[in-house]
Amino acid sequence: MSATMSRDNIVLRSLTQIGECGLFLLRMLAAVPRSLRHIRETVRQLWFVGAMSLIIIMVCGLFVGMVLGLQLYDVLSIFGGTSATGTVVAIAIYRELGPVVTALLFAGRAGTSVTAEIGLMRATDQIAAMEMMAVDPIAYVAVPRFLAGIVAMPLLCCVFCALGIFGGHLVGVTWLGIDNGTFWSNMTATVEVVKDVINGVLWKSVVFGTVVSLIAVFQGYTTPPTSEGVAYATTRTVVASSIAILALDFVLTAFLM
Amino acid sequence: MSQRPSYAVGTGLFIVLGFTALGYLATQTTSVANTSRGPSYTVEAHFANIGQLKERAPVKVAGVRVGQVQSIVLDPGKETADVKLAIDNRYSQIPDDSVATIFTSGLLGDQYVGIQYGNSKKAVADGGTLALTRPAQQLEEMLGKFFGAGGSADNLSGSYQVKARFTNVGALSVGAPVKMAGVAIGSVQSVKADPVKLDAEVALSIDKKYSQIPDDSAAAVFTSGLIGTQYVAIQPGGSPDMLKDGDELVLTQSALQIEDLIGKFLVSGSSSDKKDASSSKADTGSKH
Amino acid sequence: MTDSVSAKPDDSALVRVRGLTTVLNGKKVFDALDMDIPRGKITAIMGPSGTGKTTLLKHITGQMRGSAGEVWVDGQNVPKLSRDKLFELRERIGYLFQNSALLTDFDVFENVAFPLRQHTQLPEVLIRNIVLTKLQAVGLRGAAGLMPSELSGGMARRVALARSIVFDPMLILYDEPFVGLDPIALNQVLKLIRTLNQTLGITSVLVAHELEAIKQVADHIYLIANGKVVAQGDPKTIADDGSPWTRQFFGGEADGPVPFQYPAGDLGVSLGFPGRGA
Repeated sequence: MSATMSRDNIVLRSLTQIGECGLFLLRMLAAVPRSLRHIRETVRQLWFVGAMSLIIIMVCGLFVGMVLGLQLYDVLSIFGGTSATGTVVAIAIYRELGPVVTALLFAGRAGTSVTAEIGLMRATDQIAAMEMMAVDPIAYVAVPRFLAGIVAMPLLCCVFCALGIFGGHLVGVTWLGIDNGTFWSNMTATVEVVKDVINGVLWKSVVFGTVVSLIAVFQGYTTPPTSEGVAYATTRTVVASSIAILALDFVLTAFLM
Repeated sequence: MSQRPSYAVGTGLFIVLGFTALGYLATQTTSVANTSRGPSYTVEAHFANIGQLKERAPVKVAGVRVGQVQSIVLDPGKETADVKLAIDNRYSQIPDDSVATIFTSGLLGDQYVGIQYGNSKKAVADGGTLALTRPAQQLEEMLGKFFGAGGSADNLSGSYQVKARFTNVGALSVGAPVKMAGVAIGSVQSVKADPVKLDAEVALSIDKKYSQIPDDSAAAVFTSGLIGTQYVAIQPGGSPDMLKDGDELVLTQSALQIEDLIGKFLVSGSSSDKKDASSSKADTGSKH
Repeated sequence: MTDSVSAKPDDSALVRVRGLTTVLNGKKVFDALDMDIPRGKITAIMGPSGTGKTTLLKHITGQMRGSAGEVWVDGQNVPKLSRDKLFELRERIGYLFQNSALLTDFDVFENVAFPLRQHTQLPEVLIRNIVLTKLQAVGLRGAAGLMPSELSGGMARRVALARSIVFDPMLILYDEPFVGLDPIALNQVLKLIRTLNQTLGITSVLVAHELEAIKQVADHIYLIANGKVVAQGDPKTIADDGSPWTRQFFGGEADGPVPFQYPAGDLGVSLGFPGRGA
């Protein structure tokens, strides 16, 4: 049903979705005080969306750092500037690759599972059962996952960046023979706390975490409670999150520069 | 709660790991890592030109970091920059006639303050001044002494052709500028290898405006800057006859490979140092 | 039907529906429906599929609101209640979902303990006592450590029942409690419904199709169709009623007041024979 509707007017439908998403955000924000009683549930969700995404984030961070080290060494050797490899790896990862790749992975790993989980909870009447047990499902189901996403994303991003630096170091210093001291001293001479770590890593990842969690929870919560609806909702989570991440990345970069 | 510990412990570990990573990023990979910790004392130095020196740039003695630049202010009323250096208390034995110089780490690197010890028995004290300083060398100035200002060729209203032969054109490409006294007067029209004479034949297209070039002028392949593109420079000679369309420049100087230059310098330097160095023996031997 | 019950809120009827009208997707589900559910009795609501029996339960719990009419539960008009008041009321209502709706994240024990943990600050020992007592009542104390995915349909429904009685509610609504159960499990659930009603005096409302099962437990049966109550009474009277509705429903005839054919145009026209009857 939603598939045929989507062909009707994609612009109108997208606008409706964005509007509903905004209203849903307001509902969640209003439920935040009530959900403080379910703080334990938030911690539990932090385990699911955060700690369970750790492996993929670490592995991907390592490989992104390694491939950056390899490529940059190749290009910089043309100018005899291989000593700048550490600097460029760090800046590329902190400012762009870290937050963006982490957010995309987070949307794929945690976002989809949140959407599918909430969608299935609807389909199997668990949400309705909570309503019947006088438990507000927005406060118990939606908000903890939303908050957990906001908290988990920056932490995951930091881990990603650290592993990325390690990967760049592994390739640059251990394999390609850049001097260890040069690698670090050039990096520490150029990378700044506020501009690169706070603005790049932290701010961006907090915003991305908020957006991805909002989209994931919203899609799961509003999808038709059928297996087909859940499948569509997970797809929409990934598509909408990816677009939102990359578009916001541009806006944020422009603002934080 | 029955299943509380299983996830609570894991979540706690996750949070600790995340913050550890953040702390690591913020302190170990950024300029914070360079901030000297521990007590330090301040020394002043006045420079005529600080170049690209920034606050928190390192202060080094014999290449070893001893402190950092604390502040840079322009002396009121004077045309010198007042640079305050924070030097670790460990290094309190710096002679007061030491020379502070602004160096660049590598060709493209950041600038730092290097201190070369003097002979005085007296160490500079907290709040003291290093009177002897050497300002930053501007790379542009240095290069400017060698080559004139750059600039591309104007639109050619009309031009005439001149040929020049080089044993090595380096990375000279078609369209590269032809300059005289640093001003573009034309462009390279073609670069061909001569199969008989085994050298490169370069056709230069020169603007008609510049028709008063002596025919014994020399052509050389130069590089603009250290990593810039190459161009043909024409050094005018003293002949009363002028270059005509189709003439050939006889005196040429081929492109200098930067590796060759450095190689020559290093070889001559090492051979003059120690004649018995076994590694340089082969080189010096072949030169004789 | 309403002659024996007056309008006083504190009379024998725990749930009182008056003039309920609901329109869903342009279709009139209830048309000025009146219904009284007596206190302490087991009332069955029956009717053809799609007549809105589950929808009626949702009206009683305030999950849905009709376009007109009143739903009084224990003296409170549900559609007019604020969210907090509604939640207070719901704490005193048990609801057994058709597919049990156990929380898949938690094991059986935590599922039953869930309402207690959410609404009380009881010490762990007391929670444990209450939960195990309720599980014992449905015969699943030994399954306390299992996850919902490890339970059969009948067991899951009994766990859900234990969960819905954990606060000793005044009213339990059973939405199709017998669907998909084998005869043994069906009888177990049947026995539980009767026991709960008799020992705890819980008012029960059953939505079901299984006539034989309902005859065994129900004190009162409502047959609804086309948005109205078409027949009511105790199991014996309603079976002997003889109206077309009861005949078709209890006799299981394929055609009758509930048409076999879904409303459609002329078959001949649909098949492309203009002007000819089907």
